[in-house]
Amino acid sequence: MNASNPSSSAAGAGSADSTAPRRNSKRPKYSRFTQQELPACKPILTPKWVIGTFLLVSVIFIPIGVVSLFASQDVVEIVDRYETDCIPEPSRNDKVGFIQSNQSKTCQRTLRIPKHMKQPIYVYYQLDNFYQNHRRYVKSRSDQQLRNNGSLQETDACKPEDTTPGGAPIVPCGLIAWSLFNDTYDFTRNNQILNVNKRGISWKSDREHKFGKDVFPRNFQNGTLKGGATLNPNLTLSEQEDLIVWMRTAALPTFRKLYGKIEVDLQRDELINVTLENNYNTYSFGGKKKLVLSTTSWLGGKNDFVGIAYLTVGGLCFFLALVFLLIYLIKPRQLGDPSYLSWNRNSSGH
Amino acid sequence: MAGWRGSRGGGDGTPSDDRIASSQTVRLGKVQPQAPGHRTVFCNDREANSLAKYKIMGVVNLFMGKRKIRYIHSEVNHIESQMIAWVHDIEVVASWSGDSLQWLLLWIVGLKGALRYHLLGFLLWLRTSEGNSVSTTKYDVFTFLPKGLFEQFRRVANLYFLMISILSCTPVSPVSPITNVLPLSLVLLVSLVKEAWEDWKRFQNDMSINNSNVEVLQDWNWVPTPWKKLQVGDIIRVNQDGFFPADLMFLASTNPDGVCYVETANLDGETNLKIRKAPERTWDFVSPDKVSEFKGEVQCEQPNNSLYTFTGNLIIDKQILPLSPNQLLLRGCSLRNTEYIVGAVIFTGHETKVMMNSMKIPSKRSTLEKKLDKLILALFTVLFCMCLLGSIGSGVFINSKYHYLRFDTSEAQFDPDHRFVVAILTFFTLITLYSPIIPISLYVSVEMIKFIQSTQFINNDLRMYHAESNTPALARTSNLNEELGQVEYIFSDKTGTLTRNLMEFFKCSIGGEVYGTGVSETEIGAAQRTGVKVDAQKRSSAASERGFNFDDARLMRGAWRNEPNPDCCKEFFRCLAICHTVLPEGDESPERIRYQAASPDEAALVVAAKNFGFFFYRRTPTMIYVRESHVDKMGKVQDVPYEILNVLEFNSTRKRQSVVCRYPDGRLVLYCKGADTVIYERLVDGNPDLKRMSREHLEQFGASGLRTLCLAYKNLKPDVYESWNEKYIHAKSALRDREKKLDEVSGHQYSQPNIKKFQVAEQIEKDLILIGCTAIEDKLQEGVPACIETLSRAGIKIWVLTGDKMETAINIAYGSEVACKLINNGMKQFVISSETEAIREVEDKACHTSRRCFSHLGDQIELARYMKELVKNELKSCHEEAQKFLHMDSAPKLALIIDGKCLMYALDPSLRGMLLNFSLNCTAVVCCRVSPLQKAQVTSLVKKGANKITLSIGDGANDVSMIQAAHVGVGISGQEGMQAVMASDFAIAQFRFLTDLLLVHGRWSYHRICKVVTYFFYKNLTFTLTQFWFTFETGFSGQRLYDDWFQSLYNVIFTALPVIIIGLFDKDVSANLSKKYPELYKEGIRNAFFKWRVVATWAFFAIYQSLVLYYFVVASSKRAINSSGKLFGLWDVSTMAFTCVIVTVNLRLLMMCNTLTRWHHISVGGSILFWFIFVFIYSGVALPNKEQENIYFVIYVLMSTIYFYLTLILVPVAALFCDFLYMGVQRWFFPYDYQIVQEIHRHEADTSRIGLLEVGQSQLTPDEVRSYAIMQLPGEKSRHTGFAFDSPGYESFFASQAGVFVPQKAWDVARRASMRSKPKTPRTPRTPRTPQRN
Repeated sequence: MNASNPSSSAAGAGSADSTAPRRNSKRPKYSRFTQQELPACKPILTPKWVIGTFLLVSVIFIPIGVVSLFASQDVVEIVDRYETDCIPEPSRNDKVGFIQSNQSKTCQRTLRIPKHMKQPIYVYYQLDNFYQNHRRYVKSRSDQQLRNNGSLQETDACKPEDTTPGGAPIVPCGLIAWSLFNDTYDFTRNNQILNVNKRGISWKSDREHKFGKDVFPRNFQNGTLKGGATLNPNLTLSEQEDLIVWMRTAALPTFRKLYGKIEVDLQRDELINVTLENNYNTYSFGGKKKLVLSTTSWLGGKNDFVGIAYLTVGGLCFFLALVFLLIYLIKPRQLGDPSYLSWNRNSSGH
Repeated sequence: MAGWRGSRGGGDGTPSDDRIASSQTVRLGKVQPQAPGHRTVFCNDREANSLAKYKIMGVVNLFMGKRKIRYIHSEVNHIESQMIAWVHDIEVVASWSGDSLQWLLLWIVGLKGALRYHLLGFLLWLRTSEGNSVSTTKYDVFTFLPKGLFEQFRRVANLYFLMISILSCTPVSPVSPITNVLPLSLVLLVSLVKEAWEDWKRFQNDMSINNSNVEVLQDWNWVPTPWKKLQVGDIIRVNQDGFFPADLMFLASTNPDGVCYVETANLDGETNLKIRKAPERTWDFVSPDKVSEFKGEVQCEQPNNSLYTFTGNLIIDKQILPLSPNQLLLRGCSLRNTEYIVGAVIFTGHETKVMMNSMKIPSKRSTLEKKLDKLILALFTVLFCMCLLGSIGSGVFINSKYHYLRFDTSEAQFDPDHRFVVAILTFFTLITLYSPIIPISLYVSVEMIKFIQSTQFINNDLRMYHAESNTPALARTSNLNEELGQVEYIFSDKTGTLTRNLMEFFKCSIGGEVYGTGVSETEIGAAQRTGVKVDAQKRSSAASERGFNFDDARLMRGAWRNEPNPDCCKEFFRCLAICHTVLPEGDESPERIRYQAASPDEAALVVAAKNFGFFFYRRTPTMIYVRESHVDKMGKVQDVPYEILNVLEFNSTRKRQSVVCRYPDGRLVLYCKGADTVIYERLVDGNPDLKRMSREHLEQFGASGLRTLCLAYKNLKPDVYESWNEKYIHAKSALRDREKKLDEVSGHQYSQPNIKKFQVAEQIEKDLILIGCTAIEDKLQEGVPACIETLSRAGIKIWVLTGDKMETAINIAYGSEVACKLINNGMKQFVISSETEAIREVEDKACHTSRRCFSHLGDQIELARYMKELVKNELKSCHEEAQKFLHMDSAPKLALIIDGKCLMYALDPSLRGMLLNFSLNCTAVVCCRVSPLQKAQVTSLVKKGANKITLSIGDGANDVSMIQAAHVGVGISGQEGMQAVMASDFAIAQFRFLTDLLLVHGRWSYHRICKVVTYFFYKNLTFTLTQFWFTFETGFSGQRLYDDWFQSLYNVIFTALPVIIIGLFDKDVSANLSKKYPELYKEGIRNAFFKWRVVATWAFFAIYQSLVLYYFVVASSKRAINSSGKLFGLWDVSTMAFTCVIVTVNLRLLMMCNTLTRWHHISVGGSILFWFIFVFIYSGVALPNKEQENIYFVIYVLMSTIYFYLTLILVPVAALFCDFLYMGVQRWFFPYDYQIVQEIHRHEADTSRIGLLEVGQSQLTPDEVRSYAIMQLPGEKSRHTGFAFDSPGYESFFASQAGVFVPQKAWDVARRASMRSKPKTPRTPRTPRTPQRN
């Protein structure tokens, strides 16, 4: 190394020379990761993008909304609320007393078919103010016991409906099974019995995996306090579809459960007579009971919500797209206008 | 019985506390067990030592780590006293070697009788066998789990989750324990594995060190022995380039004169060599035969952590030889330029000074993190409110009318007769249920992100790599990355930070005559200010040698003989050649010699002397050899040996250095050089002309931005000297209070504010004769002005705190193209200076009286009162004027210049507020002549008083306190030593890299961490709120909406990775744009992205989204969901809702990204995909023992319905609709600055890569090219510490003679000493090390 090296180009070259062969150089190695230069796209939410996105959403959502709304409109649904009407006039002051008495609970209802209903027609009961999702209720079951004949004794979770006072396990145990819904419906049309098919009303996975084919009800509803329906002790649990449906607990306190299927078409203005046994006590907590007859579309039951929601979101997006477009046309914001920078604004402002 | 009681009474009568206080004023870390009295080591006699070691006196208080055990016995018999000694000694080990031993010890001490005796004996044996082995690990096998877990649970979040986990094992819990235990254990696992890995590395390091070999004398032979087997008193041999295995007493070396050279890089990072000298009596113990005869007894202080002090005596044949730090070779240092040395082990293992110093750097927490704590606290409040609401609801709801729920007295939580109990229990239920509102993985994620940011990004940034010094940037902590993005005040040192610390002898004034024709850079700057063109190019050629940039024919080549004052010139040159502590190295020829100096200033002065014809070429401990030319007559060259009698070394309080030397003809002269203030105080009366002229010259030099020193000498009469020397030596050999006594002898400083200390016993540095003064130029660092301009555009205020003169400081700070652009002509300057006539007058008076009569302290107090009043008035008037300016339109910017003396009074509590108010209004503040302590005071004034985020940057030991006081400490590595770096949080090589560190890394980190934190907040709030809405429809029973596993994996798996990716890769604008638009940084100063408003916005959207997520999903699944008429159950709905949540929060993350790399896509896509894979498997497999098979087959049921897909499209879009609208409107109408910049440069690709590969040479301006060329001059690297007036970090060979007390440094010495990259065994043969260049 000599004394001085005034020329700039030589200095540059010299530095290149000195860095290259230097051993123990601590110069970090170049990598895109460490230098934070990974290839990336930089999306900028420009007005065009905003308008475009809104348009795109509305273009997709509005048709979906219309289609699902139509599907929902196709569905014919008859709802009959009966919990008050099915109590004889004199007992209406003491509904709870009536339901707990031994009087005949049979009740006749007549339904008029508003529109042609194609089979299958699904029969539901709808309960209200019934907290199937209460923590105490949800956990009060024993899945092992339901599935497996060998696990009869596993009733820990089922209190207080776990064993008989004698200590024998109750199958199925727990509050859910104990409070099984026990209103029954029989339909006649022109004094002709309409068959209600009660098979295949539960989810196949429940039937086949959760409820054992070798598990029979035992000691069920033998106690002094009866919560609801009894079960045929000669049928396996996997065949007790009412129970299976009931035990798939609902998410909300207002819920429907599938009761059965009517597998004939019903014509418009036909009158359907329903003979129902009004056994289930919803009166003590003021719950409503409804009988629902409904057809389905490809989408399912009558549910306008999805269609309306799609239409609303799509419509809003369309509206906003228009608004933004209008603003964009009337008073466009120039992209990357330096006068928007805060320090430029401040200097002019103050 | 003569035991310890007797000997305690002996010793030195003075209370031991006194000594500790005097020698260790600054104590950091935990209290060392300090046994009073001293310790005796028998050299070369193992048996004697094992007894001697336990003769420790007066130990009654035993310290066990932090626990103090009082161990008092009414009657202490001999055995007991012995045992107490043991306990103390074992305890020293226990406190270092981990807790298990300590606990064992606690147990043993609690025992009674013979068992304790034996156990203690066993431990004693353990202790002796432990010897020199050290352990720096935090844990051992036994303590890892308890201690590691304890550390983890000190975090509030972890503790909270521990409590939740415990709660979830009770029947109150709605969820199975797995929900909370799993995430907690995952988080703990990650942290513990990290801890274990780090500790394992430490352990391996320890092992390799403990097992490296050193040669120990055994039976007349050198036997290689592992370090750990070393014991106190052993005689060992250390070869060239070997490390000292323990603290050694230096006995002999192969060098003549019994000296050896030591490199202390492991201790303090300084690479210049220090001389150590063995006691003369032991010089010949070099060969094994000789050494084996050596029998000595060392009495020394107890082990302590003061690196720079040591007092002891070596007793050989009843002769007492004083020992000082000069005879002590510290563990961790290495031997250089010496074939081998022989030493006796004095302290081993954890008792060595370097290990006693080991402690953690107190970790700083960033402001953002502190604010994060507040956010967490707010979340706790929200949680509390939610739970309270729910529990009230449950109390109201519970009613026996719900017969199917069978509410009865069997379960307390469902007992309708005790609604209050129900409510309280439900409160706990809900806390467990809502626990995910506190983001458990937040801290771990943020830590991980910051760790990668600092280790991968900051440490590897090529833009911050300095090729000339081969130094990359170094993030020493990873806690403060985002703090770098919010700095508002920078406190900068000047020398070595703004300037290069490349000292060049530039001008001088001898006998009232100015020499040197150069024009300094600052002068060029000043000239350009006034519009005069100066040919700058000419200057670079004038530099003929490093350290010497002087051009004046009147002094060169003997021409000084014709000057008006040749004698004065001669003294001047001799003073330069003799009065220093420089070590020559290499060939003794003027061209080849290299000088090892404690500071570049010193080296520059010696180089100057060489160029003037006074070539200093050899130094022995007693002599200095100077080759003098042209002294007697022109052209004659002669070698003159000067006998050095005493060296009174520099330190920052003395501010001067003196050497007493004897000429060959017997003349006794004291040469002194130092700061003008201290020299002028000590001048002999008379010759006012010279004093006045020199003062003028000093001011003139200072105005040119030069560093000045005054030179003076004094002829000594032999009898005066002898009497002084006697006292001096007496003070030197005192075992106690050595520093104090030495201080008194050498002359106490006047300028100490503490007037009580004003007791000058006797001085020799007085009545000096002024010779002249020197001026040294220190050039500005490359790119500093541009950097400062950029930073000030970024809204950062830069304060310069310097030890330099006011004129120098102002000139450096002045705005021009060359100097820093801190102050410019348009600014209104306020100068508060103590150098006014009025003050000087009062000062002189005070000085005068006090020197004549020491008891008159009144004048000093008077002076202080006067000064304070003056400063107060001055401040008040400045403040008023500033207020006036503030209310004006187009007010000029303000600048404050204040000097150290005035600052001292201004920092008085009564004036502090005014100073702060005023200085915050100033755009530039320059404090000159400030002490290290004042630097720290000013920093904490702004930090605490104004609550602004501060950054201190400096390079020297004098900046350490300031660096530690600020929120962020940045050390400049390279020119000066490593002390500042060791105390700093970030180390960079050049000041100009501050732009990259702050504007690029800091800003990015801030943006990223803000995003990460707010996103965590949002995603957990959203998730928990869906749960909360559900609670209203379950009779407030606390039924969970989601499956246990869903909830437990939500934070740690399904949403964990993308947020880390955004914390690493998100980049709003590129690095180049960050620097091109420094104003973007202001967003960080304003904390624009983590304000409560931002958090509230996120909270609003979280609420909105959770409502959409919950109610849309629920509403769309009320009716039959396919043509088979079947319905959804609870778990179908919940799985659908959870799927929607996962998709929504992950998409929301994509929406907040500024850049999308493929990692974003992979992580976001991967998270969603992983959820589906998980749920497919989870609901597909019917585990035989599964508690609840709620989820069985659910996803397949869901996916068989069209509703599922319709919902999956609808819900995220509807949920994110508002966010999208907000983002669009915000960007359209209220854009952030960075968004505008993005738009301006939206079509540009990242071009920075090309520049990086070439380290950006092409865009340099001609000026920069020139300065770059200067940088390339040969022999550039200075490897030394300390501006001449800064205390050098490591006390050198000469310091002992001055008795300098150097305060403790607060960096982790032991860690580095034990973590050197590869263990070097002393036995490895090595080529003699040539001192490195470059």
